[in-house]
Amino acid sequence: MNIKDVIRAEEGEIFDIELDENVLKANAKLAQQNRELLLKHGVNSIDVMGSIGAGKTSLIEKMVEKLKTRYRIAVFKGDLTTTIDAEIISRHGVDVIAINTGKECHLDANLVHKALKRLNLKMVDLLFIENVGNLICPAEFPLGSEKRIVVISVTEGPYMVVKHPFIFMDADVVAINKVDLAEAMEVDVTKLGGDVKKINPKAAVVATNCRTGEGVNQVIAALKL
Amino acid sequence: MHEGAITSQIVENVLREAEKRKAKSVLEVHLEIGKLMFLNPEQVRFWYQMLTKNTILEGSKLMIEEKEGVVKCPKCGYQGDFKYINDDPAFHVPTPTLNCPKCDGTVEIIGGKECLIKKVKMLI
Ligand SMILES: Nc1nc2c(ncn2[C@@H]2O[C@H](COP(=O)(O)OP(=O)(O)OP(=O)(O)O)[C@@H](O)[C@H]2O)c(=O)[nH]1
Ligand SMILES: [Mg+2]
Ligand SMILES: [Zn+2]
Repeated sequence: MNIKDVIRAEEGEIFDIELDENVLKANAKLAQQNRELLLKHGVNSIDVMGSIGAGKTSLIEKMVEKLKTRYRIAVFKGDLTTTIDAEIISRHGVDVIAINTGKECHLDANLVHKALKRLNLKMVDLLFIENVGNLICPAEFPLGSEKRIVVISVTEGPYMVVKHPFIFMDADVVAINKVDLAEAMEVDVTKLGGDVKKINPKAAVVATNCRTGEGVNQVIAALKL
Repeated sequence: MHEGAITSQIVENVLREAEKRKAKSVLEVHLEIGKLMFLNPEQVRFWYQMLTKNTILEGSKLMIEEKEGVVKCPKCGYQGDFKYINDDPAFHVPTPTLNCPKCDGTVEIIGGKECLIKKVKMLI
């Protein structure tokens, strides 16, 4: 073999570097780690997503009231800057960790990972994670939870579901809340539920009133709790 | 809405790669983004400009290739676009569903959620 020449890129040379790097890989990996950690400690986990003010906190409160004698419950509460929801939930005598996302519009697996480290998982059977109110972003950032529930309410009008189809595709359960206001809002709850079923035939749909507790037992059953 | 978070991840990853290779500057970054990620390319570009200031990425070209959503039916093997519902005459935007367009099965999403840095052109 005879080497004729050696080319060195002294002045700098332009290279095309094929990366094929998944930008969301880090989140996906952490979500997987969260899942494994929760499974190892026998903790069931539920991601509560949905629009702003739809009743996510109210539904968690109602479920906590009904379930706290059967399970040791902890709640993570994602909020932009406040701890209002966290304080409301902690009145029910369960452990609550507030996760402030700052300017981010969703929780991510890393924030949940940090919160998990603060929790004595041996003392927990059931974890609710209330995401930041948002129907668009949370679906792209899995947290590692076992099940997902999406909460919407009739006060958002009759087109909420068809306008945001993708969040429902990842849901195990969908709660249509504030049914007490359906008539005043002239929203057909059955039609709204039908829209969810058309988008995602596998999702369980429950109509709820989180003021009175109507439908909360069905949500609990649909989550197999 | 989450363009800021995603774009800063992109910039971070490219910077790390460039530093690893001791690059003098980065000239082009090629992205592949699925439409189901709901990232507005204009906003990604805006964030990219902001976030690359005073780095070796400053002034580099950002190429974004958008990918359509693709579903697959485990029951009948259908692969392609979503089935859409459009049963409200007042509402003209068709809504995608997980119903299989060919059989009564439920499809799985297999494409459209990409968020890849495909290729980076750098001066080394
Ligand atoms: N009428 C009526 N009001 C409800 C119902 N459920 C919740 N609310 C009220 O709706 C408001 C918002 O409820 P939250 O539970 O704080 O909603 P959220 O989704 O947690 O809100 P964010 O976390 O701020 O996005 C509160 O004033 C609740 O009391 C319901 O079924 N009917
Ligand atoms: Mg809340
Ligand atoms: Zn099929």
